[in-house]
Amino acid sequence: MIQISGLTKRYDAHTTAVDHLDLEVESGEIFALLGPNGAGKSTTIRILTTLSGFEEGRVIVAGHDVDRDPDAVRRAIGYVAQETGVDYFLTGRENLTLQGHLYRMKTAQIKQRIEELARYFELGDSLDKTVAEYSGGMRRKLDIATALIHHPRVLFLDEPTLGLDTQSRRSLWQYIRKINDELGLTILLTTHYLEEADKLADRVGIINQGQIKVVDTPDALKKSLGGDVVSLEFEYEATENETLSWKLGNSDFIKDTTWEGNKLHLYVTNGAQAIPKIMQMATQEGARIANISFSRPTLDDVFIKYTGSSLSGDNEEGGEQWWEKWAGKGGSNSKWAKKWQQAQKENNGEAQSWRQWSGQENEASQGDTTPRQGEQDASPQNDSQQTWQQWQKDDNPSPATDGATSEDKEPHQWPSSGQQGDWPRDKDWPDRKD
Amino acid sequence: MLSDTWYLFHKYLIISLRMPLWSLFALIQPLIWLFIFGALFKNFAQLPGFPAASYIDYFLPGVLIMTVLFGSSWAGVSLLREISAGTVDKMLVSPASRAAIVLSRVLHAAVQVVVQSFIVLVAAWLMGANTSWNPLHIALAMSIILLLGIAFASLSNGLAIMLQREEPLVVMGNIMTLPLMFFSTAMVPAQFMPGWIHSIAVVNPIEYAVSAVRAILIGETDMATFGLGFGIMLAFAIATLAWAISAFKALRD
Repeated sequence: MIQISGLTKRYDAHTTAVDHLDLEVESGEIFALLGPNGAGKSTTIRILTTLSGFEEGRVIVAGHDVDRDPDAVRRAIGYVAQETGVDYFLTGRENLTLQGHLYRMKTAQIKQRIEELARYFELGDSLDKTVAEYSGGMRRKLDIATALIHHPRVLFLDEPTLGLDTQSRRSLWQYIRKINDELGLTILLTTHYLEEADKLADRVGIINQGQIKVVDTPDALKKSLGGDVVSLEFEYEATENETLSWKLGNSDFIKDTTWEGNKLHLYVTNGAQAIPKIMQMATQEGARIANISFSRPTLDDVFIKYTGSSLSGDNEEGGEQWWEKWAGKGGSNSKWAKKWQQAQKENNGEAQSWRQWSGQENEASQGDTTPRQGEQDASPQNDSQQTWQQWQKDDNPSPATDGATSEDKEPHQWPSSGQQGDWPRDKDWPDRKD
Repeated sequence: MLSDTWYLFHKYLIISLRMPLWSLFALIQPLIWLFIFGALFKNFAQLPGFPAASYIDYFLPGVLIMTVLFGSSWAGVSLLREISAGTVDKMLVSPASRAAIVLSRVLHAAVQVVVQSFIVLVAAWLMGANTSWNPLHIALAMSIILLLGIAFASLSNGLAIMLQREEPLVVMGNIMTLPLMFFSTAMVPAQFMPGWIHSIAVVNPIEYAVSAVRAILIGETDMATFGLGFGIMLAFAIATLAWAISAFKALRD
């Protein structure tokens, strides 16, 4: 539906907004361009919607060349800009009617379409109120409705939920998904909200400095980091379940473990496959599990891996992410990306890491160079954890600790236990469209 | 293009009608000028060689043109507002004619000043001005006002696109209006002017608009002067409109 090849847009000799960008968006998918402010998202969308020119490359939208036949492209697309774009002093109906006329629709056709769209977006009574009286979320809905008036085949949404409150944002996501599902529209949206790309998009393209760094489904991107997190909540404190956790820690499908109160977090390659095995082992040991859940690494992690920098500066919700603090401690952000790769290499080898981990844990807290929040929070089970680690060391003298490089001695790359529980996106992930 | 212009013009009309006070706001200044100048220069009419029976008769065409200038020279400000609100982008992604976007704005501003001028005309008449109420004369005078409104609204829209900022645009609006008024026979007859001001007035399009309106509304109808003014206004309006449209088409970054 959209083919971009070698697209380059320069504002002047020193500013290249889009740098030899290649991208293909398939018919019927929701594609999210994810990137920080200034990455070239909006410029790309402005070129695709014929609002901006470009220096090099070829751009085909809905079968038409944007450079040679912009009017054909315009008839085939709908565009919702970052700014509202609807007239504040007109009613919803007047806005829609005007838009219909600009797309050369007949009056009867427009009337019928307005009824359809009003029902679809549940505009109801607001249709005949002036837009100035609308709430932010309502205005956005009207904005999208005006963009759909002429039955476009592709819909472009530039930061569709920017500035909306969480509730309106979620509601808008539902509409966007509905448009895609029911009307079969191809949707290209830009966002710097990771959650938005994660929840909405069939595929995500990470864009940075005018180039696409990687394109894949959100899940595949997260899987590329190789890990799910399975969390077991026991009815009793950790000491009661040491045998089980030791067994789990030594299983080859589990890469790592951490305790958080009476919760045990297990890091595995594939959570869905790991859960039955874990449950089987738990039943054998007679452990009483109160709750089991699993979550995935977020797109945050993916973003850092591919761009070497975090999106957190842009993301209001990401201000207190565990990894942000971690990255701050670990030095440069790109170091974090290296650590990911290193961690994966290690994990592909023997299942040694969790032992190494407990060793490091002791070193880190004893050296007192990098006090970690997880430990400060974890006072109730500190004793039990200490004894358990001690026991662990005695039982399995670990050569890995001795051979560890200085980098390995830094705090472990997995989230520290206290912060793990605050991972905001994972709570919602099951209502993702799958 | 014409249907696009009509629908967009219709939109601006609805907006204006929904906020009538906003449009009337532009009337305050011409009415104040009418009142002050009418009182201040009242005795001018007694000077030998003054071309009209009373000063307010003489000043009426001037104040009508003043209304046009005050009403249309800031038309570009709302274009900048529409650009920043995303409304212009919304029009640009549609297949709507680009010329229609400018044309509808300019026509709206011009129609608005025609209405405003008519109100000023009635006010001046109430203050004792002797104007022709022949419908043909009124219509011809309004045609001059419409063309001048188109020209100044085009200039303002074109400048808005070139300057991209509101503040310098307002300054330019001021620079365009007041000096041009004084470099014309709007307030002072040509024979009372210093020679150098008169020679500037000869190349000032405002001068021809004022003369044309005066020729048609006040005293003896002078179709030759009106014809010259109409021709010049038509050329001025077409040239500035073409410039504004080409500036708008080049807006694509």
